[in-house]
Amino acid sequence: MPSLAVTLGELQLANPILSASGTFGHGLEMEQFAPPERLGGLVSKTVTLRPRPGNPAPRIHETEAGFLNSIGLENRGLETYLAETLPEVAGADTRIFCNIGGESPEEYARLAALLDERSEIDALEINLSCPNVQGGRLPFSTDPALAERCVRAVREATSKPIFAKLSPNVSRIAELAVAVEQGGADGITAVNTLLGMQVDWRSGKPGLATVMGGYSGQGIKPVALRCAWECVQAVSIPVLGCGGIADADDVLEFLAVGCAAVQVGTASFSDPGLLGHLAADLAARLEAAGLESIAQVRGSLERHLSAK
Amino acid sequence: MPRPPEDSRSQTAEVISVESLGADGVLLRVRPQEPLPRLRGARFFMLRREDRLSPAIPRPFSLYDQAGDELVFLIKLLGRGTRALGDMQPGARLRLIGPLGNGWPTFTPAQPLVMLAGGIGSVPFLVGIADALREGVAAEDMTMIYGAATAAQLFEFERFAALGVRVLAATDDGSRGFAGHALECLAVEQEEGRIPPDAWLYACGPGPMLAAVERLSRNTGVPAWLSLEELMGCGVGICNGCPVPTRPEGPLGAWNNAKCCVEGPVFSTDAIQIAEN
Ligand SMILES: Cc1cc2nc3c(=O)[nH]c(=O)nc-3n(C[C@H](O)[C@H](O)[C@H](O)COP(=O)(O)OP(=O)(O)OC[C@H]3O[C@@H](n4cnc5c(N)ncnc54)[C@H](O)[C@@H]3O)c2cc1C
Ligand SMILES: Cc1cc2nc3c(=O)[nH]c(=O)nc-3n(C[C@H](O)[C@H](O)[C@H](O)COP(=O)(O)O)c2cc1C
Ligand code: FES
Repeated sequence: MPSLAVTLGELQLANPILSASGTFGHGLEMEQFAPPERLGGLVSKTVTLRPRPGNPAPRIHETEAGFLNSIGLENRGLETYLAETLPEVAGADTRIFCNIGGESPEEYARLAALLDERSEIDALEINLSCPNVQGGRLPFSTDPALAERCVRAVREATSKPIFAKLSPNVSRIAELAVAVEQGGADGITAVNTLLGMQVDWRSGKPGLATVMGGYSGQGIKPVALRCAWECVQAVSIPVLGCGGIADADDVLEFLAVGCAAVQVGTASFSDPGLLGHLAADLAARLEAAGLESIAQVRGSLERHLSAK
Repeated sequence: MPRPPEDSRSQTAEVISVESLGADGVLLRVRPQEPLPRLRGARFFMLRREDRLSPAIPRPFSLYDQAGDELVFLIKLLGRGTRALGDMQPGARLRLIGPLGNGWPTFTPAQPLVMLAGGIGSVPFLVGIADALREGVAAEDMTMIYGAATAAQLFEFERFAALGVRVLAATDDGSRGFAGHALECLAVEQEEGRIPPDAWLYACGPGPMLAAVERLSRNTGVPAWLSLEELMGCGVGICNGCPVPTRPEGPLGAWNNAKCCVEGPVFSTDAIQIAEN
């Protein structure tokens, strides 16, 4: 069997496949469809300091090639996460990433400090990029200086590995990647959803109650791949690719541009069992191609370009 | 966090037949890879045609009937998702996620009840009526009022009428049965003494109809359960796309909304608030 193990800094993962935040529950809700030990890691839905009720319905709308959402970071807040979700994941044989969201660098730091004490968590992912709060203004993921401050504040509050999740809704994502690396991030997740919307021209009714929301799924893969590649070129910390991944070939494309691992989101809605077999599919794909490890695929784009 | 039901799984099923029921309805008969035991009415499945052309997001459908190891769905063709399913050929396979949701609550023996169906909202009542009979509700204590825009939209009416309980038709255009909405029909039946005023209500249908049932139950104090047909993204509780506002003083009031897919789709009117008062 080809080797799927990957290392992200000091973190060892059994395979490069993680769930994406907000698309796989908070803890082990999906264990009957996709046993956690078959994933490299589970990423929680964004946890905020205080509970957030989320946005009104309709919150979801499928389009021709993807999916719009405006959930609005609905979650029951840090206290409930600490009391109910973390004890549940304690025994899971996979890496647990807690994704955090805040309104200021101080709030991110506060969350990180409170989570730092919990041994169930292997890493933090900083959601700098949710388009569904503050009217889609994305303050932390469009301003490199603010992004760096945010990551630094978290860095000072925790010794756990931290991953900064970037938004594709910027003109030069590499600048953000460099900023979060300087702030002390151990890795980057690229990317969150694209800002999008839909309207019924007959009635004028928007597809989402909030009008604008986050666009994800197969339609965003080329954009996500480009963002991941720009990040890989700009920094030396590992990059986790995310956006439109639905099968083993998609995973391999992100590895080819140099990602160390990937996250899968919307595709779990098509089949909640997907993440239960995607790592095995990946191994089978490598084997069929006569490859022994994913390291042979990682960065093949760069090798191809420099051989020219 | 609420989880999907323990008996649910994600598998494929083989299409056995697709039978047209007039212009915009089909009966889709499938055989899951792993057979399922008998299921309660108002449980549902997420279905998706996996050809990389059809919508990637599965669509929710109530169980209509079970025959041996086959599941039967009654689907009203609306948009891309339902049409992709309606165009399937026998022998093709589709993604089948379920059984999901809670189903109708256990019926109370000897308690008179009314089942109110609006259009395609009739689907969860075929098995629901059988469940109620088995659980001790007398056939003469049960009435189903099946409402639709026109007689042609009363899909499978004869099948319901053959169950041995009273089934009334109500059509907006008067083309069959009572001329008017299912709830107007209920009011007349109660006024004229054919349905007791304290009959419990079970309803499935379009949002405005369910809101009207909620108001009725609040005004009269008669218990009512609604099977909601919310938009769903995943059906298993992971997308947060199916919020239903809860009543702060009700049994689900600890959080501002419930997930229709894993906490419903059947809710008692004590628990939720869909009507704007
Ligand atoms: C628990 C549950 C059980 C259901 N059971 C059945 C069933 O047994 N048979 C059946 O035919 N349908 C059922 N539905 C409704 C069915 O899921 C939708 O009709 C379907 O998702 C529409 O998909 P589409 O791609 O064809 O339409 P879309 O292209 O998504 O939409 C086409 C049109 O239909 C409207 N629409 C979309 N979804 C819904 C909805 N959920 N309710 C009302 N209007 C909608 C849209 O606003 C739009 O105007 C059920 C829904 C739920 C939540
Ligand atoms: C319904 C939904 C909810 C999401 N919630 C979050 C969230 O809470 N925090 C976050 O960082 N990203 C969230 N995301 C973004 C995903 O984690 C992911 O970055 C994005 O969807 C792109 O990947 P995909 O195309 O594989 O879905 C959400 C996406 C969807 C579709
Ligand atoms: S449909 Fe996804 S949470 Fe209910």
